[in-house]
Amino acid sequence: MIGKLANWLRRNKLESGLERELRYHLDRRISDLEKRGLPSGEARRQALLELGGIAQIQEEVRDIWLTRWLRDFTYDLRLSLRSFLRTPSFCITAVLSLVLGIGATTAVYSLVDQVLLHALPVRQPERLVLIDWQGDQVANGFGSWNLMSYPICRDLDEQKQFFEGVFCRALTNVDLSTGGDYSAATVEIVSANYFSVLGVGPALGRVLANDDDGAPNANPVAVLSYDFWQTQLGGAPDVVGRKVLVNRHPLTIIGVAASTFKGIDVGQVPSMWIPASMSAEAIPGFNDLLDRRRRWMQVLGRLNPGVTLQQAQAGLQPWFKAMLQEDTRRAGFPVITADRRREFLGSSLVLTEAPQGHSSLRRHLSEPLWVLSAVTAVLLGLACLNVSGLFLARGSAQDREIGTRIALGASRGRLGRQLLADSILIALAGGLLGIAAAPIAVRTLIAFLPKGIAPTALHAGVDARVLLFAFMASVAAGLLSGLAPAWQAGRHSLVTSLRERGGTAGGIRLRKVIVTAQIALTLTLVVGAALFLRTLDELMAKGPGFKTSSLISFGIDPQRSGYAPAEANRLIRNIDEAIQQSPITQASAIARFPLLTGGSWNDPMTILTDKRITTDDVNLNSVTPGFFPTMGVRIVAGRNFNERDEHAPVNSGSAIVNEAFAKRYLEGRSPLGARICEGTGPEAKPNIEIVGVVSNFNYRGLREQSEQVFFPFFADAGANGTFYVRVRGAPESFLSSFRAIVHSADPALPMMDFRTLDEQVDRSLNTEHMLATLSGSFGMIALLLSLVGLYGVMSFVVTQRTREIGIRLALGAMRWSAIWLILRDALAMILTGTGIGLPFVWTLGRLVESQLYGVKASDPAVLVITILVLCSAGLGAALIPARRASSINPTDALRVE
Amino acid sequence: MRSPRFPIPQGTLDMLILQIVSLEPVHGYGIAQRLEQISRSVVQVNQGSLYPALHRLEQKRWLSAKWKESETGREAKFYALTTSGRKQLAAEKHSWAQLAGAVQLIFNEGGR
Repeated sequence: MIGKLANWLRRNKLESGLERELRYHLDRRISDLEKRGLPSGEARRQALLELGGIAQIQEEVRDIWLTRWLRDFTYDLRLSLRSFLRTPSFCITAVLSLVLGIGATTAVYSLVDQVLLHALPVRQPERLVLIDWQGDQVANGFGSWNLMSYPICRDLDEQKQFFEGVFCRALTNVDLSTGGDYSAATVEIVSANYFSVLGVGPALGRVLANDDDGAPNANPVAVLSYDFWQTQLGGAPDVVGRKVLVNRHPLTIIGVAASTFKGIDVGQVPSMWIPASMSAEAIPGFNDLLDRRRRWMQVLGRLNPGVTLQQAQAGLQPWFKAMLQEDTRRAGFPVITADRRREFLGSSLVLTEAPQGHSSLRRHLSEPLWVLSAVTAVLLGLACLNVSGLFLARGSAQDREIGTRIALGASRGRLGRQLLADSILIALAGGLLGIAAAPIAVRTLIAFLPKGIAPTALHAGVDARVLLFAFMASVAAGLLSGLAPAWQAGRHSLVTSLRERGGTAGGIRLRKVIVTAQIALTLTLVVGAALFLRTLDELMAKGPGFKTSSLISFGIDPQRSGYAPAEANRLIRNIDEAIQQSPITQASAIARFPLLTGGSWNDPMTILTDKRITTDDVNLNSVTPGFFPTMGVRIVAGRNFNERDEHAPVNSGSAIVNEAFAKRYLEGRSPLGARICEGTGPEAKPNIEIVGVVSNFNYRGLREQSEQVFFPFFADAGANGTFYVRVRGAPESFLSSFRAIVHSADPALPMMDFRTLDEQVDRSLNTEHMLATLSGSFGMIALLLSLVGLYGVMSFVVTQRTREIGIRLALGAMRWSAIWLILRDALAMILTGTGIGLPFVWTLGRLVESQLYGVKASDPAVLVITILVLCSAGLGAALIPARRASSINPTDALRVE
Repeated sequence: MRSPRFPIPQGTLDMLILQIVSLEPVHGYGIAQRLEQISRSVVQVNQGSLYPALHRLEQKRWLSAKWKESETGREAKFYALTTSGRKQLAAEKHSWAQLAGAVQLIFNEGGR
């Protein structure tokens, strides 16, 4: 195939070579024959006769070079190009439809590929697996998902009959300085075999080796990411041996990782990698590296060659069960109930393939991205139908030409192929422009993604995989849009086409089928868009349960700057007082954990009333007394915190719960006076008194409605804080004022995530915004495309029936009946399309159910309104040709023939 | 004037060309002359099918071609056997011999 294409490219050279070769043969033959005594004219004649026709040999040889169909196809393409240049407006409309379809599909595919499909740039990524604990680990933890403790990872690393190696990793945010000011940065804490198991080498210096991960605090080294080295250190060649400060602790740079490697989490590109032995430095206050009951790291392994995932998973269990037994006998294993112990011992290890690493972004985005892929695929199908319709329209205009070609002996297959060549040429042109537009489209898409992801994580460029996808999509689109016209050409009747002036009835029937299909697809897209818009609308209207206007928030983490917990609390208090005294402040408060960021502090709890109740995970936070008034959250029963609560001992103070908590766990009885505590074991001592109940508001995100418990801020042991301040006036303008306040408390303390709460709500609705906006625009485009299709067909119908309508009018039919004649046709198509579309709507609706809020996929109002919109828009489009029909002058119409 | 020669069996032309070229690099006309000699005595070869066959064998990379000065001083396209062409010729010779042997065996049996 490639060889043949190469032949096509050098066909001129091949031709002249063949001609020279044949001439040499002829000349030699003629001179040989002349030597034998033949007269020169006779010699020539005989030589030519022997060879049997030069032109025929040339044709035969050409077929060998290119094969028959390829030659025909290149001829077809040339013919198509010529005919397109004759009808540029047709050509532009068709190409534009496909640019929309192919561009959108390619852009979404580019994101799907980068976020969901792309394997890590490491050695044999297909052998990487994620190892996860199924069951109760009897452990406390922090972090995202699939967490285990560091010592268990080291144990797994020793199971060499299954794994080449097992490593663990955790992402954390630190204050980082390369000499100048501190700024917030993401680092990845890893076991020292991370690089060797992944098979990633250095771009400079060396990467971590096994002896870089010894006793806690023993290895103050770091490996920079290539991006960080380039952007923050200007790619300085002498960087190895320099020091960086992580939360004020100096670490020596030992190298830079390979340029293609960006960590194993798409979306979170770490600035550097730090050995797990230095985790206490990277996470202030964390000293539990060697604690088997502290889950905070993801564990991934590389399977040995020849070992399958199932073999490894099954083979690990005996060792794992023994390890569980051993764990229960270890010193420090918590006292737990018999039930919980049974659950712990019943745990198992689950292995999943992880060629793409581990990513929370992927977890959040996979469903929305698949939804978008489906939407763009439908849009592309619609664009193809549009082009089909255009081709059919052109086909009926070319009827006589086609009829003539058939009469001259062209085969129907050949004509069909010509039409396919037409549509593939159009599709490739569309694909080319689509690829040119793709980077812009991808950038637009990326702008919709969660703001937290690293700017270098995703790129808008067109790589080989995207190019291949766009090419395949174009060819598929070409074939798809050429199918109907080619089929129609195959059915062409010679007699009728030469006899009739207008298009054939078959042509118009097929065009109606296409428009009907378009309407069915449009219905699904418009209903989808309406559902996502309703979802966004519902969430925005509901709000987070507190007043967001004029409210700003920002965080500080003094422990990262080397403060001891008591000092840190003093600093937070100072800043709080300064904010309270500022003239721009209406009200202010502090919470330990920020709201609406997706995360939370959570733990199951024990409640003691007249009986002992244990709960599922409850979302926890600790707040200052000003918190509820500042946020505008009502105190429904009991009282707010006061100064005295702040000084009570941690485990016997007071707590406030929300209504959801009271409703679920106290079943309508008043929670006031009940005693609670964190944890659920027999050792849990519920000594904290519930003193108040507040109205519900959202903690992690706008969709969630959770049980919440609040503790007094300064009573708990943490030493970071998020300030919530309600200001007088436009909140955006106060960044510098608050920065000055923090700066005067400690000039070196970085301020994190300064933003208004309106902005925070927007951020937490990122995915919903993306789905609503994109499906809305795609729905609009779809509607437009099918209206154009409908208009085209109805105009054609009017032209075709001019005579009939003229006769009807001449016989005394009313004008409106002519209008109705056309509209009835259009309405039939719209209603049939709707009927066909409804089952699709139902099926797709079920697939997107989890993305919806406050609206059901089968919401009747949404369906009815969408169908009404579709009908009225469709009738509107058909009205234009219908009015033309009604204004037909009977005498003119009859004279046309 | 019916010729007593029989037409060349399908597919045998390629084998004959490979055989002729295997002796030394030769141009199209040279092959035609060799074929004519064979034709005169045994089989009948249509010269018109020679060039398509040559180009087919070149496409399959069994023959390589080079423009060189010929015995008359004019440039001509000389064909030579490639390594894979040599293998192909050996394979065809072998299967031909097997076929001929098998047919002969059947004839011998029938004659007995």
